Amino acid sequence: MKNEKYRLDIIPGIVLALFAIGYLVMIPTIKEFTGMGATPLTNRFVPYLWGSVLLFLAAWLIVRGIRKRKKFLAEGGVIKKMSLVETLKERREVVFSFVALTVYVAVMTPLGFIIATVLYVFCQILILTPKENWKKNYLPAAITAVLTAGILFYVFRYLLNVLLPIGVLSIFGL
Amino acid sequence: MILEGLSAVLQPMTIILVAIGTIVGIIFGSIPGLTATMAIVMFLPVTYSMTSSQGISMLMALYIGGISGGLISAILLNIPGTPSSVATCFDGNPLADKGEAGKALGTGVVFSFIGTVIGIALLVVLSPVLCDFALKFQAYEYCALAIFSLSMVIALTGRDMPKGLISAVIGTLLATVGLSPIDSKPRFTFGMFQLNNGFALVVLLIGLFAISEVMAYAEKVRHAQHYTVNKNVKIKGVGFTFKEFISQLPNAIVSALIGVGIGILPGIGGGVSCMISYTVSKNTSKHRELYGTGIMDGVVASETANNGTIGGAMIPLLALGIPGDAATAMLLGGLQIHNVAPGPLIYEKNGAVVYAIFFAMVIAAIFMMVFMLFGMRFFVSVLKIPKNYLLPVIVVLCAIGAIGNANSVFDTYSMVAFGLMSYLLIKSKIPTVPMILGFILGPTFEQNLRRVSQLASSDPFYHHSIFCVLIAATVVVVIFSVRANLKDAKKADLAEAEAMKKSQTADE
Repeated sequence: MKNEKYRLDIIPGIVLALFAIGYLVMIPTIKEFTGMGATPLTNRFVPYLWGSVLLFLAAWLIVRGIRKRKKFLAEGGVIKKMSLVETLKERREVVFSFVALTVYVAVMTPLGFIIATVLYVFCQILILTPKENWKKNYLPAAITAVLTAGILFYVFRYLLNVLLPIGVLSIFGL
Repeated sequence: MILEGLSAVLQPMTIILVAIGTIVGIIFGSIPGLTATMAIVMFLPVTYSMTSSQGISMLMALYIGGISGGLISAILLNIPGTPSSVATCFDGNPLADKGEAGKALGTGVVFSFIGTVIGIALLVVLSPVLCDFALKFQAYEYCALAIFSLSMVIALTGRDMPKGLISAVIGTLLATVGLSPIDSKPRFTFGMFQLNNGFALVVLLIGLFAISEVMAYAEKVRHAQHYTVNKNVKIKGVGFTFKEFISQLPNAIVSALIGVGIGILPGIGGGVSCMISYTVSKNTSKHRELYGTGIMDGVVASETANNGTIGGAMIPLLALGIPGDAATAMLLGGLQIHNVAPGPLIYEKNGAVVYAIFFAMVIAAIFMMVFMLFGMRFFVSVLKIPKNYLLPVIVVLCAIGAIGNANSVFDTYSMVAFGLMSYLLIKSKIPTVPMILGFILGPTFEQNLRRVSQLASSDPFYHHSIFCVLIAATVVVVIFSVRANLKDAKKADLAEAEAMKKSQTADE
């Protein structure tokens, strides 16, 4: 085992097990219906069933991962430690894309679709462009962002009746 | 109803929409990394204000175009445009390298058309039969059908069964959010009224298949791949002779039937059907040693099968509401938006729309063949569109799709959350397709299981033969799949150990 494949079992296994436990813990807060016509299996039964199955499968992953790890070490493998910061740095474009997307949806209501989209498309194009090519992409990215926002807003808001938020531009009577 | 469906499709507006859908679908299929599913995701909001026949016809055209377009990059770049065209690379690209790109593309296009038509023919014949059969279904049968369909996940996940199952179970867990079936009590809504109806299928699919694709591209920004496009794409006629066409027909028919068969099974898409069909074609051929060197047979097997899958995947979608793959799951979302409820009563309640779908599929298949044969140069030039500009626009369209689903910005938050979840799952090598099955089948299973619990004392299960057959089939599928998976896992471990030994010896 050249690479540390066990990590792909242990880490997701732990996260999923915690998620399953959290899910199972919340089930008793579901209100059961016990009146006329109530089914013998209540609305808690299936959540309990799937939550338990997920917990079992997550435990399976963890155990499998631990066994792989033992094998890896027995075969003379050396565990490389990589901090979370390093991992995120290595995937910074992904992190920035998620941040841009989250900010985009968060500001869409107050700023409105047009402004939020212009900002998002511009930033996202640059994020997806290698840094050394940024300079020559500023103008095309800005034009693409403005055209995308303007055309899509007009088509969907006025031709296809999708209620896209207007935000601060409502002062211009849009 | 048939005439009503035909007249709906023959409206000039519908024909234009089908043409646009086919072209956009081919473009999406041809660009590696963009898929038919993404094309449908992107155009879903465009269909919101259309009539159901127009909207669904356009989505079908996107589906057919998207699956077919994959052959362009498979042949010219040796990179499958969509997973459905993986096996097309094996012979299509070597054929192009021999200077016969026109023949490879022509073969792919014509046999994609034949595969689509055979698939549609079987869809027209089989879906009403399945609907009639499914009319006998009651709570017991639906419950067993959901269990059987979920058991297929085990068969599909290969050596990593727990991860496939985890994906399906996450889907079922997500489906428990919202008001519970039967008694309508809120579950896991955290007091947010927007969650009362649960998560929308469309929003989940956007997160799973569109957002994750952007992130996958973002990962490669600093390690960009440079393609060399084979520009020798002149197609003379259809690219091959009539004699060659006749000689390929048996191969095409078998491949189309494999495609339809695989399409009917829940959760398996064109990616699997083209591989199986290619393998079958190779193993039954008199000149199997030539496969992989650039022969027509390989392209025919792959392309006929993946397009046959379209018709196959539509059969359980229309008759039972169970999608065959990710793209048909998206179509299910589209049908729901247009108030068309798939199931045994679809012919009675929405017969005209169903026939409109069939006619639209035929028109889209014809458009696909004509556009690809005569507009190949255009589609090849599209391969050069920079994805760093295209993907942000797609994300914006996805956000509009999420907003338009319930005219609420709230769904865009779910979209981002599902995108993040999908990215993390993919990084953990957990497949995302089983999640859709879990999400769709979870509520069917729960609702009918609870009804069964009510009926069990007065109407025992052994009175329901279909239920018993489906449960028996589930047991057989599980046993065989678990055995096959364990065997595969053992083989893979042995291969890994051997590879490690070899590398250690090389190091020494």
